[in-house]
Amino acid sequence: MKIARSLFNGGLIAYTGLFFAFIYIPLVVIAVYSFNANPVNMMTWTGFTTEWYAQVLGFKTKVSESALYIESTGQLLQAVWNSLVIAASTTAIATVFGTAIAIALYRFEFVGQRFYRVVMFMPMLMPDIVLGIALLIFFVSSGIRLGLTTIIIGQCTFLISYVFIVVSARLAGMDRTLEHASADLGANEWMTFRRVVLPQLFPAIVGGALLAFIISMDDLVITYFIAGVDVTTLPMFIFSMLRRGIKPEINAIAVMMLSFSFVVASLGLYLRSRQK
Amino acid sequence: MSIASRRRFQLGLLLGPVSAFLAVFFLGPLAIMVVTSFLAPGLYGGVEWTFYPDNFGRILGFADPMFEEFDPIYIAIFLRSVEIAALTVLATLVVCYPAAFCIARLSERWKNFCLFLITLPFFTSLIVRLFVWVLILRQTGLVNEVLLSSGLIERPLDLIYTKGAIILGMTYVFIPFMFMPVYASVEKLDWTLVRASLDLGAGPVRTFWRIILPLTAPGIAGGAVIVFIPALGNFVVPAVLGGAKVMMFGNLIEQQFLAARNWPFGAALAMMVMSVMLVMMIAQVVLSGRRGRAAALAR
Amino acid sequence: MQNSIVRLVEASKAFATPEGGSVTALDRIDLDVRRNEFLTLLGPSGCGKTTLLQAISGFVELDGGSILIDSEDMTDRPPYRRPVNTVFQNYALFPHMTVGENVAYSLEVAGVAKPARREKVASALKMVGLEGMEGRKPRQLSGGQQQRVALARAIIARPKLLLLDEPLSALDKNLRQAMQIELKTLQNELGISFIFVTHDQQEALTMSDRVAVLSGGRIQQLDTPRAIYDHPVNTFVATFIGASNLFEGTLDGDRLMTSDGMAIRHQPCERKISTKATALIRPEQFFLAEDNAPFPTIEVDLDQIVFVGSTFELFGRTAEGRKVVAEVPANRRSLVGAIEQSRKARLAYDPSAVHLIGERGGA
Repeated sequence: MKIARSLFNGGLIAYTGLFFAFIYIPLVVIAVYSFNANPVNMMTWTGFTTEWYAQVLGFKTKVSESALYIESTGQLLQAVWNSLVIAASTTAIATVFGTAIAIALYRFEFVGQRFYRVVMFMPMLMPDIVLGIALLIFFVSSGIRLGLTTIIIGQCTFLISYVFIVVSARLAGMDRTLEHASADLGANEWMTFRRVVLPQLFPAIVGGALLAFIISMDDLVITYFIAGVDVTTLPMFIFSMLRRGIKPEINAIAVMMLSFSFVVASLGLYLRSRQK
Repeated sequence: MSIASRRRFQLGLLLGPVSAFLAVFFLGPLAIMVVTSFLAPGLYGGVEWTFYPDNFGRILGFADPMFEEFDPIYIAIFLRSVEIAALTVLATLVVCYPAAFCIARLSERWKNFCLFLITLPFFTSLIVRLFVWVLILRQTGLVNEVLLSSGLIERPLDLIYTKGAIILGMTYVFIPFMFMPVYASVEKLDWTLVRASLDLGAGPVRTFWRIILPLTAPGIAGGAVIVFIPALGNFVVPAVLGGAKVMMFGNLIEQQFLAARNWPFGAALAMMVMSVMLVMMIAQVVLSGRRGRAAALAR
Repeated sequence: MQNSIVRLVEASKAFATPEGGSVTALDRIDLDVRRNEFLTLLGPSGCGKTTLLQAISGFVELDGGSILIDSEDMTDRPPYRRPVNTVFQNYALFPHMTVGENVAYSLEVAGVAKPARREKVASALKMVGLEGMEGRKPRQLSGGQQQRVALARAIIARPKLLLLDEPLSALDKNLRQAMQIELKTLQNELGISFIFVTHDQQEALTMSDRVAVLSGGRIQQLDTPRAIYDHPVNTFVATFIGASNLFEGTLDGDRLMTSDGMAIRHQPCERKISTKATALIRPEQFFLAEDNAPFPTIEVDLDQIVFVGSTFELFGRTAEGRKVVAEVPANRRSLVGAIEQSRKARLAYDPSAVHLIGERGGA
């Protein structure tokens, strides 16, 4: 019986190891193969090189003489820039709006609170494509030109929800007696908010902002519909490359995006765990 | 200013701009989409403002009989999407459950570490994670390379652009979504109940079926909903891993908007996905409401 | 040993601590539990009583030794193959099943048909005083009712032995006392042995046929409640059960001489014990002496006199500073009145009431 139990436990742990392997090995694989020198067959290892990274980052390499490559690198850099601009803008807007709603719902009482809560959760449960086309119809019918602005507006509609969830979770779990003590000692609402609530809320706000940033950078579906013809973001770029034909640089781009996401996400999760 | 009116002012300040934004850019577009689904498509894209129920009719196969014959293709695609989404739910559940079970019994430090590792990929780009599978599954991909070079097969296998590839890709993407609710449920399980069951003579298998599974069912149900709906309306995964060969409902919708420019029809298709989502949400509310009411009655 | 339903032979178990060391929970324990007896495992937390219980039910695997239940070796059997059922401290009622389904569980597992199950459930519920509650859900019941469901569930399949892990600790005092009587009655009715774990010595004394006092993974004494109270074998048992006054010293003829010059007179011992010993006098053995009473006395200065209703508790100190506790009935008001004034008392005792504890076990 002892043996059966240890077998079972051992088996379970082995399975969990496989589970993590399944999740992470593909990522490790492309990281490794991003250094593969083979320009044609990406999965056949011919040698070690960093030229794909160099290529992506704009340095001249043997391959970059070809005009086609230069063009796509230029497009790539433009896409990265667009993504960053969009992410920065949406993060700013969504963080402010999301925090505002969280505070309104968790520190005030009013009619229609339930309605707001439902609206906040809708984007999570809805498939992105539905929201994407709804926005597309809206923008075009109202005559608004598709471009950076529409992308920013469109992304904000669901990013607000993400920030809301993070901040409101913190608000709900906060010790209200501290605010009561502050009021008791003579501080008015604004002061209590500034000196007692905000400092406690700050890590959650930052966490929500980081979350919004990452999701904005990675968003494909909604951006895809409302970007119009002139603007491309990084995920869109990769998506179209996948459909047209894969170049080895995508490997390098992918690895860089993964690393970036990992670092930012780790930072965000670390901050969240600190606040606990 | 009285306290009450000051509070109202603050509330207005907080809610005003956001509410306006969301009303115009979130609820507005959704409403417009609903309306559009009932309109007729214009000749060069755009819409004509006439009531046109045939969008929905066409989904079921029956469009305007003057121009189109009975064509069940949309139903077929819808059913296929439901099938794929359901299989994805099943696959993610089977994959996640044992892992959740194992992790819930680890020490606090290990638990947090594992949770961190599982949520991390959630924050990376979907498209990048799918790209990985393209590289692995395609004809010149890793799997075929390994099998060919080791002599196990002679011609490359057709792994990509199949239903299986899509399910694999979706499972890969949705694992964090299923894992979290399932894990929350498993972690909250009162282990003395398991002991009680064993004590009363039920073996491990029976204990699993009668005690552990029913008590973790809420987590499983939650995970199923969170995975099924996005899987159903997904178009990225089938676009990348299914190519033109395996089309899902999401691809259909995309097609209507960007290629065929038949917005009303596309909107109708989207409404169909929305209605599935609403049905599932209502079902969940009703089920948990029934449980909640029973609990309330008990007090 | 056909009279024993459970037999432990040299049962040992050690647990690893988070810091890396190990803690001995069971230290080569030998135990014979008789048929149809109410046995209590009593001890402070960490003494190993719960571990012992779990070893019998099968949730703790022994490092060494063996367990026999009804003469069958169960050492390697998993809990679901042992004819033993447990009433858990938190009741562990299955929340997603009704009371009826909970109680019927072990029968269902054993393959009993539905109509037979229903009958047995009804009679089990009747036995615990919960007739007609089959359809309720556990969360609809009070703590006391949940406990009875747990009981019904555990006894319905007539196990050979019932284990109860501090089942009354969550109940309030009145309910507790009522349940104690009910458990005792139930055990008599069923005729199977109950092994009851508690840290409450009052409970142990009231309910048990025998009590096993545990400490540090060993059974310190296994005896009837009376014997444990009157003749504890060591100072641990003496102090764990009931209040006590202990006097350590050397035996000299018919008295024990303490280091601070006190002489405690005692009855001669039948058994030979060591020269060094401890004398135990329970507080209620003292009485306030009339002046010419032919009993030995201890003179104390009183620190406190506490009125407890039917008795007075006297907390005093000898001239040498030793603390003494005495309990005298409250009906000798005149005597008590006198000492209240003087704040001094002469505590008398009967030498035959003095219990001697030798260095390695008592007389």
